Amino acid sequence: MAISEEILADYPNLPEVSPIGVELDWAWLAGHESEWGVHPKPSARGLTLMDIAVGSYAEVPEHPKHRSMAARGADIADDTPDMGYILNKKSDVWSSNVSELYEEAVARQWSATRDIPWNQLEELSPDLEHAMCQLCTTLSEIEMIASDLPAKWMWRMNHEFLEAKMFLCTQIMDEARHSEVFRKRALANGGGLLKSRGGSETLLRTIIEAKTYTQATALLHLLGEGMILDLFRQGEAIAPTDVEKRIFRMCMQDEARHVAYGTMHIRHSVENDPDVAEEIHEALDHGEAAMLALGTAPDMSTALAMLLAGGADKIEEVGFPLQMQLGKNQLTSYLARCERAGVGRLERTTLPLAELGIEIEELRRGVGA
Amino acid sequence: MRIDSVELFDRLASAMNADTGRYELLGDIDLDLAVVMHRPDGDAFRVLLGFRGIECETVVSIEAGAEVAAECWVEGDVAHWQEMFDDIARHGHATGAWTLNTLTIMGDKIQLKAADPMGWDKFHRFNQTLQDFVDAAANVLDEEASNVSA
Repeated sequence: MAISEEILADYPNLPEVSPIGVELDWAWLAGHESEWGVHPKPSARGLTLMDIAVGSYAEVPEHPKHRSMAARGADIADDTPDMGYILNKKSDVWSSNVSELYEEAVARQWSATRDIPWNQLEELSPDLEHAMCQLCTTLSEIEMIASDLPAKWMWRMNHEFLEAKMFLCTQIMDEARHSEVFRKRALANGGGLLKSRGGSETLLRTIIEAKTYTQATALLHLLGEGMILDLFRQGEAIAPTDVEKRIFRMCMQDEARHVAYGTMHIRHSVENDPDVAEEIHEALDHGEAAMLALGTAPDMSTALAMLLAGGADKIEEVGFPLQMQLGKNQLTSYLARCERAGVGRLERTTLPLAELGIEIEELRRGVGA
Repeated sequence: MRIDSVELFDRLASAMNADTGRYELLGDIDLDLAVVMHRPDGDAFRVLLGFRGIECETVVSIEAGAEVAAECWVEGDVAHWQEMFDDIARHGHATGAWTLNTLTIMGDKIQLKAADPMGWDKFHRFNQTLQDFVDAAANVLDEEASNVSA
């Protein structure tokens, strides 16, 4: 190792040995051959990932040469160690909107402690308080899967797909906050945590045990979070007070980002490898059955029906019919997203479309399939 | 002030752009949203709102059918929009069934539409910002009422 003539020409006084006797080459002073001198321009909202995606730094390789934690675009030594990543194709994890979603997530973080007007909680009738607490108990349980699942896969993702990993970090934080806020709501108004039974665990296990990341993300982002997004929409609509409205609205925003990542990731994945579509379909075949079991599980569905009815007296006249309508919305949105993701399910789904009054032909026209 | 007017949405945009503290806390928004209000005579008011960063940068009247080019649009009879704004004016913000999300999930008064499900989801990604945007009508309409009575 020696200091190159090029560096010495510019910096003739550099020492060749450190105070403890280590030989020095100062190679980094030569800069990166291809991109030194690039000046990304901040946009109106600051210096975003999109702003720094310039020149070769904007290029995300389909098949990265290295499997190390080295920063993409750096001058990486040939002998950099292999970290054992197994998701080494861009199509394994990427989505076209991932940088924008990361910036959006960072900009739209919120605090379950500070940003919910907890002091405006109102005393509810016992039936409504129980129903809200039951809903929050279930949501606090199932939300954490969307933290656990990316955590299970992230350390296996090639580090050159940094933006995707960064976005998933925001999702992990989002879902931790959701578990937090629903736990807080269950406790905050004099109620507490209520029933937890096996139905929800079946779905969670199906998701966490998915064999591939793409199957996992189809189950989590497209199916699970898509359905929960609509559940949050319902939650906002049936919230007894402004406090719950705010909770559901803030969670809904986060959830919609996760769904946006999943939809476009699956699209990217299928476009790059059409064979993946069948793998996704197989996962969704199982996932839809598990989701249906969760959606019809007695605890959550009855709690929702009671909230929709505004109390225990009109569940059959008001609660159940509204629940059917909202279920129809949920499945329609999910199937439209599947079409957008390139894994149309209209011919394959076993979800009870007819029972919910969903006309397959109408749906087909609606999604342009 | 008529709610089916560019003037109202200009005022709402100005209110948003002046309230940087509130919208910084809610975070950036990047969305083209159209609002369609059907009038009893069969005509309709259409406006395109362009949100960027923490501002509403664009308020522009659009032609019939142009809403399809927006990422998503919210559409209903002007009478229902009036009820929503009346609720906002009465309470200082939308309550109960009159929030944007509740109205659009029920869908019987005002519908959320999008040519692309990704646009449909964007309405939800930025929902709190959009709610605060229309809630600002409480002050705008209140000022207007004060001006009229004065």
